[in-house]
Amino acid sequence: MMATLSDLKISEVKLSGKEAGKWGMVIDQDICTGCQACVAACAMENNISFVGEEDAGYGRSMHWIRIERFWEGEYPEVKMTPNQPMMCQQCGQAPCEPVCPAFATVHSMAEELNLQVYNRCVGTRYCANNCPYQVRSFNWRDYERPEPLPNQLNPDVTVRRRGIMEKCTFCIQRIHRAQDQAKAEGREVVDGEFTTACAQACPASAITFGRTDDPASLVSQLMKRRSHGVKHLEELGTLPNVTYFKGG
Amino acid sequence: MSEQFSRRDFLKLAGLGAATTAVLTGCGPASRYVKREPYMEMPEYTATGQSTYYATTCRECAAGCGLVVRTHQGRAIKTEGNANHPLNLGKTCARGQASLQGLYNPDRVTDPIKAGSPLPMDWDAAIQVVADALKNNKPEEVAFLMGMAPDHLFDLVSDLAKETGMNAPIRFGALGMFEARATLSQAAGNLFGEAGLPYFDVGGAQVVLSFGANFLETWLSPVSYTRGFTGLREAQTKQRGTLVQFEARMSATGGKADEWIPLRPGTEALVALAIGKLAAEIKGGAMPRAFAGVDVLDAASKSGIKLETLEHIAGMFANSAGALAIPGGAALGQSNGLEVAEAVLALNALADNFGKPGGMSISALAPDQTEYHRPASAKEMQDFIQKMAGGKFKVLFVHGVNPFFELPNSLGFHSASKNVAQLISFSTFRDETAREANYVFPDHHGLEAWGYQRVATGAMQPVLSGAQPVVSPFYNTRATADVMIAAAQLAGGSFAQALPYADEVEFLQTKVASLLGEADGSFSAPNPQTFMAYFQQYGGWWRNMDGRVAPSASGALNRSIKGDMAEFAGEGEFFFIPFVSPTLAEAGANKPWLQELPDPTTTVMWNTWLEMNPETAHELHIENDDVVRVVSDAGALELPVYVYPAIRPDTVAMPFGQGHTAYGRYAEGRGVNPNDLLGQHFNEAGDLAFAGMKVKIEKTGKKRPLSRLESIMGVYGEGLGEEH
Repeated sequence: MMATLSDLKISEVKLSGKEAGKWGMVIDQDICTGCQACVAACAMENNISFVGEEDAGYGRSMHWIRIERFWEGEYPEVKMTPNQPMMCQQCGQAPCEPVCPAFATVHSMAEELNLQVYNRCVGTRYCANNCPYQVRSFNWRDYERPEPLPNQLNPDVTVRRRGIMEKCTFCIQRIHRAQDQAKAEGREVVDGEFTTACAQACPASAITFGRTDDPASLVSQLMKRRSHGVKHLEELGTLPNVTYFKGG
Repeated sequence: MSEQFSRRDFLKLAGLGAATTAVLTGCGPASRYVKREPYMEMPEYTATGQSTYYATTCRECAAGCGLVVRTHQGRAIKTEGNANHPLNLGKTCARGQASLQGLYNPDRVTDPIKAGSPLPMDWDAAIQVVADALKNNKPEEVAFLMGMAPDHLFDLVSDLAKETGMNAPIRFGALGMFEARATLSQAAGNLFGEAGLPYFDVGGAQVVLSFGANFLETWLSPVSYTRGFTGLREAQTKQRGTLVQFEARMSATGGKADEWIPLRPGTEALVALAIGKLAAEIKGGAMPRAFAGVDVLDAASKSGIKLETLEHIAGMFANSAGALAIPGGAALGQSNGLEVAEAVLALNALADNFGKPGGMSISALAPDQTEYHRPASAKEMQDFIQKMAGGKFKVLFVHGVNPFFELPNSLGFHSASKNVAQLISFSTFRDETAREANYVFPDHHGLEAWGYQRVATGAMQPVLSGAQPVVSPFYNTRATADVMIAAAQLAGGSFAQALPYADEVEFLQTKVASLLGEADGSFSAPNPQTFMAYFQQYGGWWRNMDGRVAPSASGALNRSIKGDMAEFAGEGEFFFIPFVSPTLAEAGANKPWLQELPDPTTTVMWNTWLEMNPETAHELHIENDDVVRVVSDAGALELPVYVYPAIRPDTVAMPFGQGHTAYGRYAEGRGVNPNDLLGQHFNEAGDLAFAGMKVKIEKTGKKRPLSRLESIMGVYGEGLGEEH
């Protein structure tokens, strides 16, 4: 068996785990304008509830993707740091997974993604507590969606209710739809044939999604062409599948 | 079938007969509407479990981006950009994404309404009301106020007006007001002799100087300009481009700039001319007349920008092969806005970038257009309102705009509307205008409606964007074009002659068919029916050519431009900058997910805030969430403070988008409207000097915590207060 994480030095962790997962995302912070189109697109695609002003103020908003920006310096030398879209990093070794007592946060062997099985989730919130990226959101209530708003619900995505944890899935419903389509036509899924809702909407084309295990895919090419990619909190050994270009 | 197939696989395959991603028209003349049927009996082209995709045009702002909407069993599920559309190439902004929350909004107008009557009207009676209004009044007593989009309804009403002598329809929108569109086009007219809407090729440029233009947020055509920004930063064949933003309050666009220069409001013209002078000196040759009169040291001291900074920026600008300067936003909404626009456009003349990649040009006109038709300026609206107040109009039709919310209070639309005998609104939502109107005859939502729209700017090609219903109308609404056609037939005479159509679709086909013979289009067709089908399928028609026009550079630099500072109205000690909320804009407040999107710079959700420099706040003993009273010479508002690190200490700023008193449960009673503070001050081009005021700040002792995505720690300690 593999040594436990604490026995290994950081460089060894990088070597021992599978460096590239199956699906990955590349985000160029230099061109992200922070316009929130990805946030809206994600909410529309994934049937995410809105929570209202008060709950949002308490940090209970359900965004699966958020745009972080920080300030550097003081007026007049103040600078906004490059916008940083943050969503589930689909870790290769995910801290959220081992802590779930109900096996609701499991790793998909087929897609190498972190799954959230809604009908197993009992709402302990251990996973959110253990996520170093703080990208999981919890349904504190059954949020109201008055008629006729439910007409826009995406039939490919489960609607969640109170007491359930949820998070970015890399739009797994789109992955499956593309795979089914390709299978029906007797071929492999082609790079760029589909993408996640956030990447599809992004007016700046700052988000690129695809197969990181395929050296010919656009994400792999981008990662190779631009050597300054960064993975967040890489030192924790989580093996995130989202690469950020810090820009400049 | 092979034995390796599992039952599950079989079911999957069986469901995948048709290609799911094909864009269908599904709309021959026989089936003009997509029926929303019970699952038992679907229309034949709607296979159970299969999605159908329709191309249409986004109506959330006037830019005219192409959409492809995914529908499922007759319901619209998701909007995406139309990858073929030259304006947005498959991309959308947050407002476009959330348009379904408008379509399925719980607070739409469901039936025609007569004010004061508890029961809805039927459409026959409604059409009779419109017909009577047309017929029983003199033509000059009938006016039509419309939204900014140059669309088919504008053409229809224009035709009607031309034939009958009715007032020509006026287009207005708060976005146009805050963009100062009239100033932009008049400056272009003054410098180049041709009043078009300038187009700035950000994508091809190397050095971009933006004077207040919030082109990554709501300005003119944000999706297209964002693509340009990506080109500026990312092009493979050139160096990473530089963006310099001059503005007193850091906008989301300014946040992306490599250099953010917080100049004193009102000195934009001076700074542009100073940069022009320094750059011209570096380039050598005779000093252009435009820049000759300016004193660079004086400009530096008045604007609060260091001389070295000006020299460094001028150096970048002069030495770059792809220099571009953009005027926009608050810089133009000042008493000297026209001079600012002229000074900045003159910089482009100096850079000699007209019509070149990375340069400035005049936007392509739409395929059927011969000259640019801009929306009304605030000054023109003031004239319009004065006519209303003087009882010149007996009937006012309002469509696609919410003047009770979008116009500054001080212009007096509210009181003037009392002197209009009949105010008829075609609003889709229960907005302020619908509340005040005598009748509301609800139009379909944009996603339920037919139409076309001219793309005013942002695309290289001349584009006529097409719209078709993606779902059948959800309520008892009716297309305003159909109402006008039916009413005109009923009124008879010249009205019937002006609109000799059976319905809206026939009108569209007649108009669009004029493009049938064009050879250089995105498609051609043998007959009008096929042409119309393609028009729907592709989401519009565009010419395969670069329709932009390079302005003549000859006169631009030989005109002297005044570099006066702007004048500010009001007594207060703070410059006041209202800006359009990048996520809500003028009509997004009724969509709950737009409310819950964090503002890109402050991360505030669901409310309005006043941005104040930390130093100023400290001096005034004001903290985050303290409610202050902002007093201008036109009004006063109370709202919480957001201590904002990237604003001048002598400036406060406030987003526009909230402060509705109607417009549905998600918008109503939320935040305040900076329009209430704006006085009747205009620039020379007739645009509102919305950033030309000074305000006073008074403490109220109250607190109102803002919901924000950042720093939620501590909110628990304070709670949301009793008043919430």
